[in-house]
Amino acid sequence: MSIEAMVAAVVMWVVFIGGLSWCMSKWRGGGSEWEE
Amino acid sequence: MAELTRERWGKRSYFIFAALGSAIGLGNLWRFPHLTYSNGGGAFLVAWMVGLLAIGIPWLIVEYGMGKYFQKSAPGAFEGIGKKWEWLGWWPVWVAFLIDTYYCVVMAWALRYIVSAGTVAWGMGEAGAAGAADYYFGTVLRLSGGPGEIGSIVPELLIGLAVVWIIIFLVVQKGAASIGPVSQWVMITAWAFLIVLVVRGLTLVGATEGLNYYLQTDWSKLASGDVWFAALSQIAFTLSVGMAGMYAYGSFIKKRGDVNNNAFITGFGNCATSFFAGFAVFSVVGFLMQSLSIPVEEVSSSSVGLAFITWPVAISMLPGANALFGVIFFVCLFLLGLSSAYFLAYGGVISPLMDKFGWGRTKTTVGVCIVAFAIGILFTTQGGLYWGPDILDRAVAFYGLLLTGAISCLVVGWVLPVSRLREFVNETSDFKIGPWFDVLVKFIIPAALLFVLVYGGFMNDIPNSYAGYPRWASNAIWGVLVVTLILSFILGSMKTKGRAD
Repeated sequence: MSIEAMVAAVVMWVVFIGGLSWCMSKWRGGGSEWEE
Repeated sequence: MAELTRERWGKRSYFIFAALGSAIGLGNLWRFPHLTYSNGGGAFLVAWMVGLLAIGIPWLIVEYGMGKYFQKSAPGAFEGIGKKWEWLGWWPVWVAFLIDTYYCVVMAWALRYIVSAGTVAWGMGEAGAAGAADYYFGTVLRLSGGPGEIGSIVPELLIGLAVVWIIIFLVVQKGAASIGPVSQWVMITAWAFLIVLVVRGLTLVGATEGLNYYLQTDWSKLASGDVWFAALSQIAFTLSVGMAGMYAYGSFIKKRGDVNNNAFITGFGNCATSFFAGFAVFSVVGFLMQSLSIPVEEVSSSSVGLAFITWPVAISMLPGANALFGVIFFVCLFLLGLSSAYFLAYGGVISPLMDKFGWGRTKTTVGVCIVAFAIGILFTTQGGLYWGPDILDRAVAFYGLLLTGAISCLVVGWVLPVSRLREFVNETSDFKIGPWFDVLVKFIIPAALLFVLVYGGFMNDIPNSYAGYPRWASNAIWGVLVVTLILSFILGSMKTKGRAD
């Protein structure tokens, strides 16, 4: 796999995992209200 | 009283799975990866992320927020702004209804292939690879020569379509109470199967070569209108906004429930799934390039060609467990489509009708399923591919969606106005959104949707016939738009009785 493709893959996964982690961190109670 | 008794999602997680299920559909698997490859890889991804943040997520907030604010599906929400705007809520209902009529036929194809994959009916090895296209067009669709030749109904597809609509009826018959739990299991299963496909793909010979094509970056393409058109149109089509259903799903959120964070989770979750699916698709593309010694241009495809020709070719060429991976692929495809299909049926059509006419859920569900099935029969004919997933798709999923989306954002932005909606969603959300949201809804989203509409639509379909079809067939696109617009005005002018529950 080329360096260019690897960089693109890593950057995108950082964006997605980072974005979703940020959303979960904002979730009231840190996700403890998942059931509500 | 209706506000107190309106159906609700049992858990917040049910809403998120239902929203993700509605957004994640066939396009995540068969449209996004090829768009990325053919539009400059990393450059396309940049434009796509800009589109997600500037258009997709704010648009989701508008639709969830409007539903929650007015406690109504799309028509009722716009009626809440003013009776004269109710038609604007009905137009996307027609979009959802008509999309579902042919979308379910594509799922009937997937059902047919689940059965066929059990024996790899199109053949094994290079002979099977060579025969996959003939199997799809000749055996499965029995495709006619053009839209002027409807031909006869294909019985296997008719049976498949009936099965799909029975499943949809069973899923939505209790509304949000049944859609939530079903969506949770449908999505978890679909993701599990997708992981299996990615792992299988990445362990094939040539996979890395395919991924190089998927993610190769041509930054110069960012200056091209084509890339922005591709990225913005993908964002507009992938989140299931502009199809009425997200208003209804938003209206089922509990009074103290979040809107903003849910929209961000839906947007990121949907796009992460698309990106992940690209690894399954392009690892297989690389495998086929190497095993068949052909260039990427001859392997990579999108839409039905990818799902029903390229993947069957790959399944024929796998070194082992061909039938197993064939069944897994088509079950995954079916599940991805299913959660979008029942979203369109319930959120897009059934809930708005219940809100408007006060009909009971069972009666409305039975009626919608039967009528949509009856119209879908047209697309199980030998000429169905031309009329359903092609011409009607262009009319409603392209023009209808973009037009209603752009006008809706303008009305919410300037007439409601949007600052009122922003203050409302901020009251109960995990985090607040700022005045930048108002700018996006008033200016940026309508401008972006109109750019896609003009650049990718009118500039092609007015001087030339759509997709090279005879002009009379291409003109059906404008006919569908005009008829659905008139019907929307008629529905909007009728008296609202209110939901019985």
